[in-house]
Amino acid sequence: MLTLYKARSVITMNPSMPRASAVLVRDGNILEVGEPERMQPWLEGQQFTVDEQFADKIICPGFIDPHLHPSMAAVLLPMEFITAMRWKLPWGDVEPVTDPAAFDARMQALHHSKPAEEPLFIWGYHQLWHGEMDKARIHQVSDQRPIIVWHRSFHELYMNDPAMSMAGIDPAQIKPGLQIDIDQGHFFEVGLGFAINRLNPWILAPEKYAEGLRRLKQVVHHGGHTSIGDLATGMFNLDAEAKALTEQLEGDDVPFRTRLVVHGTRLTQGGRKPEEGPTMAADLLRHNSHRLSFGHHIKLFSDGAFFSQLAQMQEPGYIDGHHGEWLAAPEELERHIRAYWHAGYQIHVHVTGDLGLELTLDILQKMQDEKPRFNHGFTFEHFGFSTPEQIPRIKALGAQVSANVYYLHELSDSYAKSGIGYERASQMARIGSCFAAGINTTVHSDFTMAPAEPLNSMWVAVNRISHEDQVMGAAEKLTQQQALEAITINAAQTIGMADITGSLRAGKRADFTVLDDDPLNCDPMALRDIGICATVFEGRVFPIP
Amino acid sequence: MSNSAVSSDSIPITLIGGYLGAGKTTLINKLLSHPGLPPGTAVLVNDFGDINIDESLIRSESDDGTVIGLSNGCICCSISDDLSKALDALREMPVKHIILETSGVAEPLRVWRHCHYPGFIPKAAVVLVDASNHAKRSQDKYVGSLVCAQVEQAHLLVLSKTDLNPGFELNRLTPQLSNQDPDLIDTLLEWRHIDETSEIASSSSLQPAFRTYTWHQAQDITQALLTDVLSTLDESVDRVKGLVATEDAGLLLINRVGDSLNMRCYRQSAQPEHLGLVFICRSSRSHEMHSAASGLGTSSIASQIARLDAGN
Ligand SMILES: Nc1nc2c(ncn2[C@@H]2O[C@H](COP(=O)(O)OP(=O)(O)O)[C@@H](O)[C@H]2O)c(=O)[nH]1
Ligand SMILES: [Mg+2]
Ligand SMILES: [Zn+2]
Repeated sequence: MLTLYKARSVITMNPSMPRASAVLVRDGNILEVGEPERMQPWLEGQQFTVDEQFADKIICPGFIDPHLHPSMAAVLLPMEFITAMRWKLPWGDVEPVTDPAAFDARMQALHHSKPAEEPLFIWGYHQLWHGEMDKARIHQVSDQRPIIVWHRSFHELYMNDPAMSMAGIDPAQIKPGLQIDIDQGHFFEVGLGFAINRLNPWILAPEKYAEGLRRLKQVVHHGGHTSIGDLATGMFNLDAEAKALTEQLEGDDVPFRTRLVVHGTRLTQGGRKPEEGPTMAADLLRHNSHRLSFGHHIKLFSDGAFFSQLAQMQEPGYIDGHHGEWLAAPEELERHIRAYWHAGYQIHVHVTGDLGLELTLDILQKMQDEKPRFNHGFTFEHFGFSTPEQIPRIKALGAQVSANVYYLHELSDSYAKSGIGYERASQMARIGSCFAAGINTTVHSDFTMAPAEPLNSMWVAVNRISHEDQVMGAAEKLTQQQALEAITINAAQTIGMADITGSLRAGKRADFTVLDDDPLNCDPMALRDIGICATVFEGRVFPIP
Repeated sequence: MSNSAVSSDSIPITLIGGYLGAGKTTLINKLLSHPGLPPGTAVLVNDFGDINIDESLIRSESDDGTVIGLSNGCICCSISDDLSKALDALREMPVKHIILETSGVAEPLRVWRHCHYPGFIPKAAVVLVDASNHAKRSQDKYVGSLVCAQVEQAHLLVLSKTDLNPGFELNRLTPQLSNQDPDLIDTLLEWRHIDETSEIASSSSLQPAFRTYTWHQAQDITQALLTDVLSTLDESVDRVKGLVATEDAGLLLINRVGDSLNMRCYRQSAQPEHLGLVFICRSSRSHEMHSAASGLGTSSIASQIARLDAGN
């Protein structure tokens, strides 16, 4: 059975034929992209339907987020969001809440909307907008219902008395020194670990987790994705995650495929040598199914978390003089990289600061000296800070970049003031330079660190507007064409799927994202508000209500 | 003081820190095979891709000690925090003392904070320094500041691999021992960092077996005075180490173990950062310790130190 999809315009991302007006599909694969009148040879003597439902829409290649975390999302999505930034979620937009009174009002509303005994988990609180939080403030909402208020960064939370008794936390047990302010109900850093261990029965309960994954499935669909990368499979527990992912993200009703990239150090943790890693990782390919597949990919880590200012920075470092952190000793990182490099893997390294990037570049240089490889796909993930001199090195070593460009929107103002100064803060996500150098460059959400909305990532990359409405590093802006490449063909390249998706051409899977407006010709500021009316995954239409 | 009951129930944790390859696991293995290891000692190992398979190494050495493997907390979040989990598990066991091998990239202070976990209390941060490459590593572009921070945050420094670099000197006014020191394990097990502001300092049941005094040199002294002070020290003084500037003999490197005093000229192009002496005193008589703990002024060591400052 053949289907001919007609559109106002088809954006192909095939540089040899950028535009068309129709796509002909058979059994989930593209037969031809072009003009209907030239497709007759395919249609001769065949049964076919002409599908006009997108006749006044724009068909793009299906969007791809090459780096997010379904497991983290599964934990977070069952919670209620009260955030300073807007989050579009399938069950309703989360409108920005930017002052303390509005935060309290929203807590009240949520409290009144829930059955009496159900605990209320809220995520997204940030003192910058929402004022100081404490237990008494939560008690004004309720001193009966357990209420947990989680900080936007995940690194601290507040609980009221019922929440503490639910979790079995006895205030008399808590002594000074631990990072818990029991009178305020405040748990941070180490104290957070203590609280989470006690909240885990609620957070990680299998049915909650499954519910979280079902919500993730909706989020991914509503963002317009047809492929995603899980860039640290096994971050909690490989077997449990693989099982839950198979249950929730495989099956005819799932409108996207997932590239699973296993967490390298978790894989060999517990006394296995890094050198055993490549064989262990290859063994995972046995579990591959239609939508869920491991490849010869591995995830490794260089420096610390961006949100906690633990990125490792070159001189002059942080304004307050603190240092970032290494997630593994440089020698250990090198040993892991060597094992996978020689085994022919595509290596994805989490790098946040320019010193973390420098270290990883030095290691990659060594690998190229030891065993030269082409098209190895070594990818710098996140790519928070970099120097201009590092860009040609990335290019020369044949590596690619997957940037969390949303950092620029959410964090550049505060990093300018209380992190590293304006110059470097405004130049985070130096991706204009990456495009200029000819580096394969994509952008990601690291969901739940940023909204899983490719059009939103595109909007940030093109406009580079901070949440305080300042243009940050205008010289690094992407064109609309580049930004669309970033979320389609370049992303497909990064997760090793450019042979089947990422652009529209004969032979690829029929993966489309169908838009109300043209993302290449619209007002750049309107990008993130373009309506997504449907996705098509392997020829099947999944409308977005 | 009101909290002393809670505190004395808390399980003390001794941190063993230091960069990758500094000899942490080697030291812990020594400790586990030590006949004097008190029952109820548990070992926690951070095995996040360590070059040596610490956990299995340690297991083969001792079947009695409780050994739990750890890995660093998750990168993107704190939902998976192995140390907290391990401590929660250990609380249910008859454990009296924990030795925690930190990851090679950990800053002892950050782990120290973690050891205030309910039911536990940090005891001392011991940091290993690799004599064979500390000088180079502390200048390293990537880990130099980390390695320096590890040394700065230590309460007790243990020098390893001095066999590979016998002339190595670490110019710090922090108590230090060699990993070849015959008293190393006993010292380590009993070492307790005293924070004068904490309740433990005044809780008599938890008096430390060691006391350290640090003399920061403000002005040059004579070699005669130095020799005199060092040879008439109170018998509880176990070790003295440091670098002293003298009017008549230049910089002197001091190393006294028990009764044997080693004093030699120290020549280096750079002016040392830290001048002074560290005294390690051992006491089995708790009343004496009590007086020592209540203030330097009453102890004879303190008056010896005062002589150095007065210059006579
Ligand atoms: N020559 C020498 N080698 C040592 C000494 N201490 C440890 N080592 C060796 O140094 C290497 C790393 O030691 P290990 O204890 O695993 O270091 P860790 O990474 O800090 O746990 C091992 O090969 C040890 O045998 C020492 O005092 N002298
Ligand atoms: Mg070790
Ligand atoms: Zn990530």
